[in-house]
Amino acid sequence: MQIISFLFDKHLEKSVLAAAVALSIFMLTRGETDQINSARAISSVLLYPVERVEDYFSDIDRLREENLELRKIAASLAHERERFIQFRDERNRLREMLGFREDSFFRFLPCEVIARSSNLFHHSLTVDKGSEDGVAAGMTVVGYKGLAGKVVQVFPASSRVLLINNKAISVSCIDKRSRTVGILNWERGDLFRLDYIGSEEDVLKGDTLLTSGLGLVMPKGFPVGTVFQVAEEKAGLSRKVSVVSMTDLNTLEELFIVTGGRNWDSGEILEQLENIINAEKNKE
Amino acid sequence: MNIIRMVLAAAIVFILQVTVAHTVSLGEASPDFVLILLIVMVMDRRPVLAVIIGFLLGFLQDLGNASYLGMNALVKSLTGYIIARYASDLLPDNSLFKGLLIFLSALAGDVILLNITLSFDALSVFVTFFRYSILSALYTAVAGIIVIKAIDILPGRTVRSGGGF
Repeated sequence: MQIISFLFDKHLEKSVLAAAVALSIFMLTRGETDQINSARAISSVLLYPVERVEDYFSDIDRLREENLELRKIAASLAHERERFIQFRDERNRLREMLGFREDSFFRFLPCEVIARSSNLFHHSLTVDKGSEDGVAAGMTVVGYKGLAGKVVQVFPASSRVLLINNKAISVSCIDKRSRTVGILNWERGDLFRLDYIGSEEDVLKGDTLLTSGLGLVMPKGFPVGTVFQVAEEKAGLSRKVSVVSMTDLNTLEELFIVTGGRNWDSGEILEQLENIINAEKNKE
Repeated sequence: MNIIRMVLAAAIVFILQVTVAHTVSLGEASPDFVLILLIVMVMDRRPVLAVIIGFLLGFLQDLGNASYLGMNALVKSLTGYIIARYASDLLPDNSLFKGLLIFLSALAGDVILLNITLSFDALSVFVTFFRYSILSALYTAVAGIIVIKAIDILPGRTVRSGGGF
């Protein structure tokens, strides 16, 4: 206590000076590597706020550029959308003139994958949207690049989706280039097979397959896969068409449920079929 | 000068020291803005605070040249103490005398710095001192007088009569 009193009460100035000098000499007598390392560590601590500010401003610049790019894209997409709406209306008018059923736009409900099936051959997953969000069984589910599957079970706040690499699902597809129609079935891994393709049918490697919309099971026009191999079967009557899926079905995180473009109330397909049959009967 | 002004002034001076000092050098002589700041800061202050300010300014200066970490801290602590303890009372409130004080402080500081960096080799210290230190000290003193004059004409500046802290 006496020492402390001596140092801080009676000789405070000299004590502080001595401490500063001692500390300086201590730093000077350390090895050069230690000095440099210490200086670097202290500088990084002192400059941390400056670096944060610099990062903040560089982020702002980057975000401003990104925003500008996105504005351009949004503007271009808005124009494109207007054009498509005009085309749709024109198309519907022409279809009406020809007596075809009116076509309509799809509506997409974004959803996130919350669970996956652990069964190797029963590929399905659960998404976070259900009947409370307007989801119904039978609705088509797509990813960013193309078809993913369809809703088979609906709960209030979630739904179960069977993926197209499930043995229980077959998808009617049409070749985008040649308009050849076939049935897509899963084989293994990411590989699919397009069945019912005759030896004379025009299907080439690299062709894109779209949903055909036949049977009104899935809406028409969604990309499904790409043909990567076409081989003659031994009998020579048909061709083996191997397809790889557009969507990576193993890494799905965000999906879109197609809620629009069709009335999904149960019985709609039956009603339509009845209407077609009745129309045929009336013609007869 | 409150703490915010001190930090702000220190930041500006360090930026000047890093960016401007070498561009306005005359031959090998360049002004020591940190020394000017130290003298402006410790005038009329208690020696305890002057030592702390000197140590911190010198230490920050050392971070730029880590091979001699502690060297400027030592010099600036001693300078701060001596100016606050003796020079404030003895020197009249005149910018020319303050310039003289800066000149002498720069010379004294250089003697210590040269001895440390040249490993107390008397001949080398002597030659370097006469070759570079005097001109640098003169340059720093002139810059210091300009800075002190500029501070004096700043609006809102009050002259304290009885010392600071």
